[in-house]
Amino acid sequence: MLRTLIVLAVTLLAAKTSFAHEWTPTYPKFEASFVEGIAVTQMNIFNRREDISFYEIDIYDADWNPIPFATRSKIVEVKYLEQKNIEIYIREKDCDDIEYICSRSKILKKDSAQAGINSRICSRLR
Amino acid sequence: MFRIFTVCVAIFLSNVAHANQTPITGNVSSKCSIFTDITGVYGNPSPNTLSTDPVDGGVIPVVRYDVSIADYYTAKISWPNSFVTSPALDDALAWDGEVEVLSVSDTNMAGYEAAKIEYDNVTEYDLSVAGSTWFKVTSEVSYGFDKSFPGGEYITNVSADCIAK
Repeated sequence: MLRTLIVLAVTLLAAKTSFAHEWTPTYPKFEASFVEGIAVTQMNIFNRREDISFYEIDIYDADWNPIPFATRSKIVEVKYLEQKNIEIYIREKDCDDIEYICSRSKILKKDSAQAGINSRICSRLR
Repeated sequence: MFRIFTVCVAIFLSNVAHANQTPITGNVSSKCSIFTDITGVYGNPSPNTLSTDPVDGGVIPVVRYDVSIADYYTAKISWPNSFVTSPALDDALAWDGEVEVLSVSDTNMAGYEAAKIEYDNVTEYDLSVAGSTWFKVTSEVSYGFDKSFPGGEYITNVSADCIAK
C-alpha cells in the first residue's frame, strides 16, 4: 500500500517536473563525406528539458580519451522541445578508435540552482 | 428507363470502388531518456553540515531513466563531490552520498539494486529491462572540523549518464 502511494506520489510529481534529453541513434555509423579522408555521421538531439538550452558534444575512445572531431559548434543551442540534426565529421583514420559519441547538458550558472541534474547520453559505435 | 440508368450507374460504381492498401510504417529504435523528476535541496541540520536527507530539512533529488529496448544501456549516476557555486571556503570538505533505486516500472528490475557497481562517487546500473527506473541520490557534505559553513548559496550538480553498451 505504502509502495503504491510512493509510486503514485512520484508519478504525480513527475507529471509536473519531468525534464529529459534524447540523443539518437544509439549505434551510429560513419560514412564517407564529400571531403576525402573525412567521415561523417548524423546525430539527432531532442530537448525536453525546459531548464537547459545548451548541450556539449564530445567523442571518446574506449578508455574515455577525447578524440578530435569537427561539427558546426561543439556547444549546440537546442531550445525547449526543439529537435536538431547534428553532423559530426572525423578523420577516417580515427574511425576505428571511436567508441562513444556523447551529448551533455550545459547548465548556465544562473540556472544551476534550478537544474541540479547534469544529464549525459552516449551513443556507441559498433 | 430511369431504373435501367440507376442499375447501370450502380454496376459502374461497383467496378471503380476498390480497396486501397494504405501502409503504416514505423521504426522502433533503442533510446534512453533521462528525466529530472525532483530537484534536490540541501537542508542545514547543523552549522557544519548540508544534507539532502528529509530528516535534515532537505529534499532528495530523483532521476528517472526510460529505456525503450532492454539491455542496450548502462546508467552511471554520480553524487556530487564539489560545489558549483559556494562562498569562499578555506577548509576541507568531506563529501558522502548514495544512489539507490527508488522505484521501478517492471518487476524484472527488482535485481537492479543488488547488482549495482559502486566506485568513487559513481554508481553503475545495467539497464537490462525496458521501462522506467527511478533513482534517488542522497548527498551530504561537512565542513572542516565542526566549522560553520559561511553564509551564502551552495549549489552542486548530480551527474546522470546513459551509456550505450
